[in-house]
Amino acid sequence: MTDTAREEILARINEALGRRGGGEYVSSTVRTTSASAAPANADDVDTTDGPAATEATAADSGYHHEGAHTGEDLVDLLIDRLVDYKANVHRASGDPGETIAELIGDHSSVVVPRGLDETWLAGFSGDVRVDSPGEELSVDELDAQGAVVTASAVAIAQTGTIVLDGSSTSGRRAITLVPDHHVCIVRTGDIVDIVPEGIARLDAHAPLTFISGPSATSDIELSRVEGVHGPRTLDVIILEA
Amino acid sequence: MTFLGMPLLRSKHAHSDLPGGQGNIVEAEAFPEASQQHLSNQQLRNNIGHATSTIRSKRAEVVSELDDWERLRDAGEATKNEVMENLPEYLAQFEAAFTAAGGIIHWARDADEANAIVTELVEDNAPVLESGRREVIKVKSMATQEIGLNEHLEAEGIDAFETDLAELIVQLGDDKPSHILVPAIHRNRDEIREIFMDKMPDAGQLTNEPAVLAEAARKHLRHKFLTTKVAISGANFGIAETGTLGVVESEGNGRMCLTLPETLITVMGIEKLLPRFADLEVFLQLLPRSSTGERMNPYTSFWTGKFEGDGPQNVHLVLLDNGRTRALADEHGRTALNCIRCSACMNVCPVYERTGGHAYGSTYPGPIGAILSPLLTGVEDEANGSLPYASSLCGACYDVCPVKINIPEILVHLRGEDVKANHSPVSSQLDAALTGASWMMSDGKRMTAAEKGLPLAHKVTGGEQINDLPGIAGAWTSSRDIPALPEKSFRQLWAEEEADGSDEKGQR
Repeated sequence: MTDTAREEILARINEALGRRGGGEYVSSTVRTTSASAAPANADDVDTTDGPAATEATAADSGYHHEGAHTGEDLVDLLIDRLVDYKANVHRASGDPGETIAELIGDHSSVVVPRGLDETWLAGFSGDVRVDSPGEELSVDELDAQGAVVTASAVAIAQTGTIVLDGSSTSGRRAITLVPDHHVCIVRTGDIVDIVPEGIARLDAHAPLTFISGPSATSDIELSRVEGVHGPRTLDVIILEA
Repeated sequence: MTFLGMPLLRSKHAHSDLPGGQGNIVEAEAFPEASQQHLSNQQLRNNIGHATSTIRSKRAEVVSELDDWERLRDAGEATKNEVMENLPEYLAQFEAAFTAAGGIIHWARDADEANAIVTELVEDNAPVLESGRREVIKVKSMATQEIGLNEHLEAEGIDAFETDLAELIVQLGDDKPSHILVPAIHRNRDEIREIFMDKMPDAGQLTNEPAVLAEAARKHLRHKFLTTKVAISGANFGIAETGTLGVVESEGNGRMCLTLPETLITVMGIEKLLPRFADLEVFLQLLPRSSTGERMNPYTSFWTGKFEGDGPQNVHLVLLDNGRTRALADEHGRTALNCIRCSACMNVCPVYERTGGHAYGSTYPGPIGAILSPLLTGVEDEANGSLPYASSLCGACYDVCPVKINIPEILVHLRGEDVKANHSPVSSQLDAALTGASWMMSDGKRMTAAEKGLPLAHKVTGGEQINDLPGIAGAWTSSRDIPALPEKSFRQLWAEEEADGSDEKGQR
């Protein structure tokens, strides 16, 4: 039944686009409005490494691909934007352990992803639960954790956005979602200025979560209120590295 | 009554074309009638006026921060045009990539087919609870609203819990969404407090502070998030190159639904694709700034099929037509499919601001709804044929549209389609009058001859303004007055001026 639906929808699209050629739904000539090419034929689709090269960029109309901020200006911009969206920002150089211990000191138990530098938690006196493949914490266990401490993949200064990519230091998605307090370490080397620079650093095939401030809503009279279902406290530690 | 200049004569014409969509995209009655009751609701107008003016200024502020905003809009427009021109290829590419990543694709020609597919998937994956019913949690999704999924599931013994705060307000209030971003925009904090006090037995005493109401929603849904086995979502983007899906949200209810359940069912229109992952560098700037007026929304999730050990292991996608191919077939209207559902056009529309979203009858209200709904169903659905007239053609919607959909132009085009499909081709009084006017005005001599009647007409009307013309012309004067007729026409005055003042003219 569904196969029939597929063929029929593709045939409808061809008809809508005014393409001729009976049941053939894939045209051999691809009409593009930008420089980069779409696949010429669906049969050519190489699913392991897409045919439209990953380097290909969006339709280029001359928008900025790189920002102008560097060094301390870049860090200051990120801090400004994080604070604007109600994240708490802290700075550390070398070892963030002391800052982490201060931030999570009131909790009795926290969760960390398996790849997080364990020395960073050395100053914490409570339980540290390590979430790792085969030894994942259950949802109820995560719900019992006071906080989660992770690293991050990229931070975009202009928008105050931190990206987690499911790596061994970002952790699987549930661990940064269920606990009500997220302490996230951003290395200065992972800070980029604008969105295109951030996207360029990411792998589409990873589970990606973009975080800009703590959970919020604008659903009541369009006023932004922080704190709904996601972690209600977001502490960001900017680590000189 | 707001007179929209709508032709009043109607006759039914058969239209053979691609099948139109079904579900919650059809006006029950024509817009002028549907808007009547809402226009007199002062509370509604206050609520919507307050909310839209708030969001308009927020949007303007964050858009002004980007000096390349217009170039981003150009890129957004070009990218979506590219998708539509190559839709079969990009769908095939998306399907292959999503499938290779462990996801399962279903195709649905219309709302009924999509609802049936989702129902079967829920029955296969969600346990029957003690109540004898099944439960699913939902992320706010326009596509599932369009196909009436919740109502369908309810009849099949499945309770669908909306988890977005505004959707929750609408669902608990037994109400309908009136805005695509903030479905409860027509409710103020006092009304929301009352709904919550009434429908959340465990919430206790609540104040009308937004933070208190948000907290109540968190407690109300927490257990559902942590225990429900099946979630249903929409998608903001599907990336053809990689098979990646994305959801843009604020509260974390999206992350909960996309991450914690065992089974994830996404319903997405076939037009939501972007060619490349890199295209997100444009759309993740355009969407949040246009939508909530934020530099970036709090949470955005991307997933590609299933990930071992992380998130749902049973991942489905329903690709929905439901009239989209019909809209695509209209070469003057197809760019309406480029819409990324930001809602900026609603927030600037003088008509929407006064009538609210319910007057449009469809899941898609406001300027985009006034073109998208009739494009999906076809204008020969007569009530939807009235939607293109729900505009003053001021063009504010076009100015803010992040993908530069020329909404006013499509509105005018669809008015023409409506006339062709729904209004009598037989020569009417209006046609006769216009034909006569055309004959007269196309020739200077005839025009001069006609103007000779002015002094007489001036006398007949007593130099007063005209409030009530006879016949079909009465439709014009029912909501407008015609100024008093002058004794002489401009052309007559000009001729006299030329004759008297030829010397002065020479000195200029």
